[in-house]
Amino acid sequence: MGRLLRILLTSSGFFTFAVLQLVCLYLIVHHNDTQRKIWAETKFVYGSYLTKQVSDRLAFLDVARENEILRRENAALLSRIPGSGYNTAVDTSTVVDSVMQQRFTYLASRVVSKSPYGPYNTLVIDRGANLGVERGQGVIADGGLLGIVSEVTPRHARVISLLHLDTRVSAGLDNNAFGTLRWDGHDPQRVTVTDMPDYVPVAPNDTIFTTGYSNVFPTGLPIGTVESSEPLPGTGSQNLTVLLLNDPLLAATGYVVRDLFKEELERLNQVK
Amino acid sequence: MSSSALVNSSLRFVLLLLVQVFIFNQVAWGWGGRDLLFIFVYPIFVALLPLRMPRPAVIFLGFLLGLSVDFFSETLGLHAGALTLTAYLRPFVLQLIQPRDGYNIKVSPTINDMSAGWMFRYLGLLLLAHLLMFFLLQTFSIYFFTDIVLKTVLSLPASLVVSFAIILIFNPKA
Repeated sequence: MGRLLRILLTSSGFFTFAVLQLVCLYLIVHHNDTQRKIWAETKFVYGSYLTKQVSDRLAFLDVARENEILRRENAALLSRIPGSGYNTAVDTSTVVDSVMQQRFTYLASRVVSKSPYGPYNTLVIDRGANLGVERGQGVIADGGLLGIVSEVTPRHARVISLLHLDTRVSAGLDNNAFGTLRWDGHDPQRVTVTDMPDYVPVAPNDTIFTTGYSNVFPTGLPIGTVESSEPLPGTGSQNLTVLLLNDPLLAATGYVVRDLFKEELERLNQVK
Repeated sequence: MSSSALVNSSLRFVLLLLVQVFIFNQVAWGWGGRDLLFIFVYPIFVALLPLRMPRPAVIFLGFLLGLSVDFFSETLGLHAGALTLTAYLRPFVLQLIQPRDGYNIKVSPTINDMSAGWMFRYLGLLLLAHLLMFFLLQTFSIYFFTDIVLKTVLSLPASLVVSFAIILIFNPKA
């Protein structure tokens, strides 16, 4: 405190000067027109410059909120581009025929997502429960099989690809001999038909069809051609290596097969 | 501060105020509708205040005289601001032109105690500071720098000659 007083005393001249000078400036600005105008102009120019500098420095403090606003705006805009729309145009093919009653209908669908290639391939199509897609329905594509629906949501369905280690499809030759088609996980172009009786004559390039013994696929859809046959000694069966007609990995569209008789057939199967 | 100095200073305050307001404020010369040459004599008052006077008192008296001149010139604050600065700078000016052996304790800033040359330089420096500050406050912006310099260059010799003449004529002792 003493030191402060001493400073005040030793520089009392300066403080007197400063105070009186401020009084003078106040008087000048408030009692002289020219100086008042200059002061107002100066204050305006430097004040706005200072305000701009300060707001520039402080702008980043607001950046989180600004980002949030921009993200919402981005989301709103992205939702309006064509690719983000869900195609609601239904494309189902049915045939009205008085002699042949319709059993299978086909629902056009688009593949919207695929799992990375591996032993357990799945994919997602853009048709779901809203349009009658159910669990267990087959999906065909490009003149061959694509897979079987495993999960259904209102607008989408997940399909277990034909190239999935757990897929089992009933397949046979045109002479009604049949076996089980499965994939061994090695070659995406080749599947295996097992449990085919070994007395059935099989020649290379014979066509493998769906059998229609399940209500997954219609009868007689071509799946592929026999590449080679290999009898399994002691089991009475042979394995056929089948070259697929289509490439399920490249499918971009597919048709969901709907069996209109499914409930009726299931009722029969429930009878013991 | 001796009583004679007090009386002299008070008299000088009033007389310089009257002389400045009624005579020299009427004398302003210039061209193109602008007054460029001004004659200021009232800074003599600050110059002639006793050297031992406390600085705040000098500054305050300078402020008072400037304000008084302002009241008659309708330029409230201009003369006051300039003379306040002049009064504040007076010790520095004194230090600048200090004689080799310093100032005697009993000395007064007069021709008798110092010398005519010293007085001339003393007045010149004080008037320079005063005029610069005055014109700066008058234009109120650095943008008119040439204006400020021009006015100072024109006004300084005139003011200095008149002020020095006044001091020579009256030759105050204290």
